[in-house]
Amino acid sequence: MSDDGIDRKVLEQIEREATDRLRNAGDLETLEELRINYLGRKGVLTLALRSIGQLPQEERPLIGSLINEIKGRFNSLFDEIKAGISAGISDEEPYPGDPSLPGRRMWTGGPHILHKVMKDVKEIFYRMGYSLAEGPEVELDYYNFEALNFPKDHPSRDTQDTFYINRDILLRTQTSPVQVRHMEKYDPPLRVISPGRVYRNETPDPSHASEFHQMEGLYVDRDVSLADLRNDVTYFIHSFFGRETNVRFRPHFFPFTEPSAEVDMTCFACSGDGCPICQKTGWIEIMGAGMVHPNVFKFAGYDPDSVTGFAFGLGIDRIAMLKYGVDDIRRFLANDIRFLSQFWRGSWVGAEK
Amino acid sequence: MKVSISWLKRYVDIEEDPKTLADDLTMFGLNVEGIEDHRPDFTGVVFGKVIECGRHPGADKLSVCKVDAGGKEMLNIVCGAPNVRAGLNVAVAVNDAVLPGNFKIKKTKLRGEISEGMICSETELGIGSDPGGIIELDFEMEPGADLRERLGTDDVILDIEVTPNRPDQLSHFGIAREIAALYKRKLREPDFFPLETDDSFLVKVEDHLDCPRYSAVCVDNVNIADSPGWLQDLLVSAGIKPVNNIVDITNFVLMEMGHPLHAFDRDRIIGDTINVRRARHGEKLETLDEVERKLDNDILVIADDEMPIAVAGVMGGRESEIRTNTKRVILESAVFDPGAVRRSSHSLKMDTEASYRFEREADIGITVRALERACYLIEETGAGEPGRMITDRIEKKDSIEDIRIALRVRQVNRLMGTHLGSGELVELLERLGLFSELSGKDLIVSVPSFRRDVKAEVDLIEEVARVYGYENIGREEERSSTIFSRVSSLDRLREELSSFLCARGYAEVIDSSFMDPEDPETFEWRKDDVRSSPVRLLNPLSVSQSVLRTSLLPGMLRTIARNASVEQEGIRIFEMGKVFLPVGSGDGLPEEKQHLTACFARKNRPVQWIDKQREYDFLDMKGELETIFEWVGIDSSVTMERDKADEPDYTFNWLYKNELVGICGMIPRRVSNRYGISAPVYYFTVLAEAIHSLGVDEPAYSGLIQYPSVKRDLCVVASDRVRFSDIRNVVKKRAKHLEYIRLFDYYRGDNLGKGQRSYAFRLSFRSPDGTLEDKAVDKVIGRVLDGLRTELQVSLRME
Ligand SMILES: [Zn+2]
Repeated sequence: MSDDGIDRKVLEQIEREATDRLRNAGDLETLEELRINYLGRKGVLTLALRSIGQLPQEERPLIGSLINEIKGRFNSLFDEIKAGISAGISDEEPYPGDPSLPGRRMWTGGPHILHKVMKDVKEIFYRMGYSLAEGPEVELDYYNFEALNFPKDHPSRDTQDTFYINRDILLRTQTSPVQVRHMEKYDPPLRVISPGRVYRNETPDPSHASEFHQMEGLYVDRDVSLADLRNDVTYFIHSFFGRETNVRFRPHFFPFTEPSAEVDMTCFACSGDGCPICQKTGWIEIMGAGMVHPNVFKFAGYDPDSVTGFAFGLGIDRIAMLKYGVDDIRRFLANDIRFLSQFWRGSWVGAEK
Repeated sequence: MKVSISWLKRYVDIEEDPKTLADDLTMFGLNVEGIEDHRPDFTGVVFGKVIECGRHPGADKLSVCKVDAGGKEMLNIVCGAPNVRAGLNVAVAVNDAVLPGNFKIKKTKLRGEISEGMICSETELGIGSDPGGIIELDFEMEPGADLRERLGTDDVILDIEVTPNRPDQLSHFGIAREIAALYKRKLREPDFFPLETDDSFLVKVEDHLDCPRYSAVCVDNVNIADSPGWLQDLLVSAGIKPVNNIVDITNFVLMEMGHPLHAFDRDRIIGDTINVRRARHGEKLETLDEVERKLDNDILVIADDEMPIAVAGVMGGRESEIRTNTKRVILESAVFDPGAVRRSSHSLKMDTEASYRFEREADIGITVRALERACYLIEETGAGEPGRMITDRIEKKDSIEDIRIALRVRQVNRLMGTHLGSGELVELLERLGLFSELSGKDLIVSVPSFRRDVKAEVDLIEEVARVYGYENIGREEERSSTIFSRVSSLDRLREELSSFLCARGYAEVIDSSFMDPEDPETFEWRKDDVRSSPVRLLNPLSVSQSVLRTSLLPGMLRTIARNASVEQEGIRIFEMGKVFLPVGSGDGLPEEKQHLTACFARKNRPVQWIDKQREYDFLDMKGELETIFEWVGIDSSVTMERDKADEPDYTFNWLYKNELVGICGMIPRRVSNRYGISAPVYYFTVLAEAIHSLGVDEPAYSGLIQYPSVKRDLCVVASDRVRFSDIRNVVKKRAKHLEYIRLFDYYRGDNLGKGQRSYAFRLSFRSPDGTLEDKAVDKVIGRVLDGLRTELQVSLRME
């Protein structure tokens, strides 16, 4: 114990007193006075710290750190009480008079609608036993066209305007190249989906974008049939759009499937009665599908006599437009927060709704 | 392909109404994209003549016309069309007329002027789509004569989407064949003029791969005139303008049978030989559209003894075109190589009905038949006297024969999930003109030349499925798959990260993969920075979208700028997207990396009544990244390094197990200004793929200590060569039973001495063996201070 009496007991006494006085301070002025009393240049704790030098060497660290501790606690209590006084909040009245005043808020955020749709779609297929496969967006002509049975210089390529990097490398126009890549790597049976971005060299308009998103599905096993394809696709459409949706398969042509089909579902806008959205047909085209062409199996190194399989592809942007009634596909990549926040559960703070 | 239902009825009976027919065709694989009903849906529309046309006194864009519509008095009509003028023959809807949509025309006043009817446009009459103005009738009639018959036709046009594999559907006969198969009806062939082959004149084919078959016939005593009305009407219904009888007949055969014919004026061909050859370099040809074409060796032409007279399979030359004085005609009916025609049409930028069909592989078996049909029509209509003999050069005789393909019944059922027998298959295929014979349990199917798209068994299976009906392929056979989904842990990590950021108040954005080639310079990335060498597109939509992004930041700055007017206060966004780095693997593809980049700028919270807003700063950003890494589970091991090589300043790399897992930094105002943002932007990037491949430890349970903790605060002074992370490492190493260390004060100022800093931090101790006594904690503190002093020359702060 030193002559000045600066020891643990004295410090504890100082702290108790300071705490009481802080708690009883009713206004900001009193509060500021207290801060100067304790922490100012001539404040109690400041002086105490300065007098440490007079203590025996071995006591200095402990007393020094104790004083710093007290200063820390003093400061945080000070801040707390100051905040309470400025808002008119006290222990007795935890809200400042008007309980309808909004609480403290941070920014709110939320997922992009395409991401949300993609995730919902993925989850439906995961439940059905599909796994995830991924492939590059900058792709070899070989995987995007040739191995999918699109010969070079064939009009079937005209339906997919392509961005090229050079003669052999392009931006994939569909997610289908993942089919061949995946089959090259893994033996059957397999059942995968592959979502991702695809590119078409088209001048954008409300229903065409040069960048959009697709999800490819592929199921290969010993005796997979067209009937199985109908099952899976129908299950998906019922899960995503609701059980009351009707689904129909209509013959079509894709180079990499045979037989091929386009899948239509009942128009969401008119429930099948016919309206401008479905061009009076009552149906809306939702995906392309078919049985994997034997040539594609050959390219992938599978024996077309021992396995069969189906593949399908659906446009994520398109089904997002259908499900949420978005009128212009270009909105998705325009990133206007007024648009994005319409699909959140909460709202963008500050946005006018 | 636009087909007229009246035309189709020449070959097959159609009782169905147009809508039903369209639906049935669609489900049969011929997707009907539109139905144009040309049957008139108006009454009271008469022929009229605009006699006078003056400005409306009260409206700039309106005219007031005096129209002779057959009545005693001229009609006073107000008209808004830009093309109305005196002298025009027009369609007038008079008082009490009814237009499509049950729109009744009544005498009315328009801006103070009386209007006694309406001058109609095609849109208003529902007979076309010409929104530009009123119809200008190019024929004469008695004013007041009813126009119903003259303007409408009794026809319905179907617009059918023909897929590139089905050139046989590019004709009325081809579509009729499908309808016959669909409804199991008889198909009626048109009439032909029988011809014999004798190679009556010379055809020289330079390369038979370019032209596998060339047939031609001469027509003498040609009498050029208008075609008969029925033929003109059918052409018009298919969207083709009548020209003269010979040209019309070639076009008619094209639309009827799908095979392109070309008519040359025999007397303008020099010599007696038709040459099919590649153009010589420097040769020129003025084509029918009056454009002079420069030819080269890639372009296949038809030539006489001196020069090209047509671009083979694309368009004829002007010199040898059919004129009013043409007396002798050579009709060409050939098959050109699809690739050769495609090269010509692409390099000359000419898309014609002919090239469209040749590119899709024309029917090699039909050339003579098409000539026989044309000759029948020429004779029938008196357009000329066809010769009896034709030239028919064909390289491989068997190329026109049927192809025989084996079809296994078992494979059909396996692929379709059906139980069809061989008899049923024979019947289904027969409907399409594919005849089969039994071979054991299976079938051998003969495929004629018009179905060259059927190349293998699987193509036949598709035809079976189509005729059988996709909708009849059952769902009754539920199968249970033995394949279960594997969860992709990378996918899960990415999904969790984005949900985490959404919950922390970030708006997710998804941006274009393209960036501006100027972006690297605008961002001041160094020339040797990999981000400064983006992958270029050969054929971009625009210069500002001509390279692939190497960073998500330029797009995000644009997003921030674009949203500035909406959200001036503060912005918080992130994107999970791919960047493309030109490093590349062996196959020449760029390296694609998935980045999760977040940006924020301006105020740290929305304006509100209670807490004050402040500007975001570097420590906000660092805290976000620390929180994320801690949340992912790699907190304590991440180290941050200043990337000195980088421009602009203030970029830090985060390493975990010596691999880059994160980048953070501040985009200074001078850069963000260039994107139209007035504040600095803070950003961080998390490399989820890298974290995933390094492996994240699963959380482990270590029991709970029931004894209370002891807390001590220390305040130390260190030189500026020491970092807080050094202090923390020493403390962690030395302090037994340490629960955590938390910095609560940091200070640098003159009263500490030059280059000195002070750190105040709280230590919390807890032991599993019992409540820690002061003495024991004091001892630990002593060891910690010792360590700080000896290892870092850090000492306890004294005042
Ligand atoms: Zn509808």
